Amino acid sequence: MASDTVASAVRSRPAALPVKTFLSELPLAVLAVAMLGGLVALYSGDTFTLNTLATALLFAGLSSAWNIIGGFGGQFSLAHSVFFAVGAYTTANLYLKAGLSPWFGLLPAAALAAAVACLLSWPVFRLRGPFFAIATMAFTEVALALGNYMEWLTGGTRGMSIPFRLGFGNMIFRDRLSYAMLMLGYTALCLLVVLAVNRSRLGYYLQAVRDNEQAARAAGISVLRVKLTGMAVSAALTGIGGGLFFMQVRVADPAALLSLFDFGVKFALIALIGGLGTIYGPILGALVVIPLEGWLRATLGGMLPGANLIVLSLCLILASLFMKQGIVGALSAGLRRIRR
Amino acid sequence: MTDLANVIAVGILLGGIYALVSVGLNLIFGVIRIVNFAQGEFVMLGMYGTYAVYNLLHLDPYVAVLLVLPVLFVVGAVIQRLILAPLRTEPSMQIFATFGLLMLLENVVLAVTRGTAYSVPSPLAEVSVAILGAQIGLVRLLALVAATVVAVALGVFLKRSMLGRAIRAVAQDRNAARLVGIDVDRIYMLTFGIGTALAGLAGCLLTPIYSLSPQIGTNFILPAFAVVVLGGLGSVLGAYVGGFIVGLTESFAGYYLDPALKHAVLFAVFIAVLIVRPSGLLGQVGAEEVGLRGE
Repeated sequence: MASDTVASAVRSRPAALPVKTFLSELPLAVLAVAMLGGLVALYSGDTFTLNTLATALLFAGLSSAWNIIGGFGGQFSLAHSVFFAVGAYTTANLYLKAGLSPWFGLLPAAALAAAVACLLSWPVFRLRGPFFAIATMAFTEVALALGNYMEWLTGGTRGMSIPFRLGFGNMIFRDRLSYAMLMLGYTALCLLVVLAVNRSRLGYYLQAVRDNEQAARAAGISVLRVKLTGMAVSAALTGIGGGLFFMQVRVADPAALLSLFDFGVKFALIALIGGLGTIYGPILGALVVIPLEGWLRATLGGMLPGANLIVLSLCLILASLFMKQGIVGALSAGLRRIRR
Repeated sequence: MTDLANVIAVGILLGGIYALVSVGLNLIFGVIRIVNFAQGEFVMLGMYGTYAVYNLLHLDPYVAVLLVLPVLFVVGAVIQRLILAPLRTEPSMQIFATFGLLMLLENVVLAVTRGTAYSVPSPLAEVSVAILGAQIGLVRLLALVAATVVAVALGVFLKRSMLGRAIRAVAQDRNAARLVGIDVDRIYMLTFGIGTALAGLAGCLLTPIYSLSPQIGTNFILPAFAVVVLGGLGSVLGAYVGGFIVGLTESFAGYYLDPALKHAVLFAVFIAVLIVRPSGLLGQVGAEEVGLRGE
């Protein structure tokens, strides 16, 4: 499909093969962010919808971050909730104990999350496929036990809370619109990084490693370094998301932050439903999954406990069976059919 | 000294439970390499099945095995046919699908039971025996015995029976297996069904020990993977030994270090073994590559 369009392009215009670069794709990304901003503006009076939008935008960013290593790189990490929690606790502790504004705390959060990610994944990157997934899932369990144990850092099982002190410097707002804008900024950041990675050497290397590790190595790609770099970028963005999440909810315990259902697997789920290894897939996925989940919880949750998760898990199973390319894949298949 | 004896006894009994819980996963993941994150939920289904049998027919958990086992076999075979057969060559989609299955089963049971915790009384649950100065609950001892019996039976089944040989042949090379006339699709379905039924068996035998909750399956899944990988992929003896390694690690770390850290230690050991020897302690070197290398 893709190959014959490229082939026809080569035949007709051999000199001007359209190579997608960061700059040539930038306008579309700016348009996408502007549309998301329009969505936020449209609902700026509706507190409930703004809340949903803020969460959806947060997950759009988090899932885009996961997609860098999980989608483009093909490394099915279930440890991203660990990097998420590292970012959350770094930001919160620096704010509470050192008085550092969360705006600045997000930088060490990103750096620490990336460092932890490299340290953890360096030994397990030699594992392939399901073994990598299982090992990273084990990391989540180790982190949960350690998180509950290290009360000085996390508040233990009772959790940790951030006092409500309004102020831009504290990243604590009364109105929901500010949070939605904050998360929009996060999504925009993640989208830009994804675009930059995708159209760089790193992006092509990651996809080469995903498609055939041995061939990539034979072609002279340093597989471990590519995986580690991809993981570091992905974890840094995830750490920032963790910091933003903690400042938004202001109270959380390790079990909540390290929950596989709420974070670790959900990043992957959203990416799958939107389109694994596509630039806009995770954003579309989050805009569909998060409101759907909220709506299901509101309408079904009262009648039947867990009903929202039943629907979500069915979506997951069906997507893995029939929609492996996600929404983006289905849309582009539809477009191709129309053009033909 | 009695402390040590107690810690060892606790570890071995726990090991028996882990060995029992992972024997089905050993067949499904260890032998035929289907990544099944929902295996713990099959154990959970076995437990609730036992409760249903107890509630409707007033049968003891140990008798309920006779009903729960065949039902779970069918459940497993149907799930394999509908969900996992189309995804056989895609491990990452298997992860998605079985995680979806995990969430589905857990929440369906939650919705049906409305989150009430159940427990099933068995007259045997009250009995305890003294061995070398340690008091041991009979039901835990029975789980240990069952784990041993099942492990031996599974080992003999895979080694000697025609079906067992066919299963191993399919695991090693499915094209060659098809060439010698094995119905590969049927073998996958049967094997998954047997693995599910074994999880159900574990569920039955665990009902007198644990109180039932929809979330209990998730407590088993990672230890079960640890057992299967630690012991050695595809090695029945390995998975049996792996159960005890996991059980003893947990009881030693819990007693001598800190109960809060026992899972951290356990899974850190697991990750370390995974890195140093991905084929497991008793597995053949390179066993982890089976089914992952090209199609």
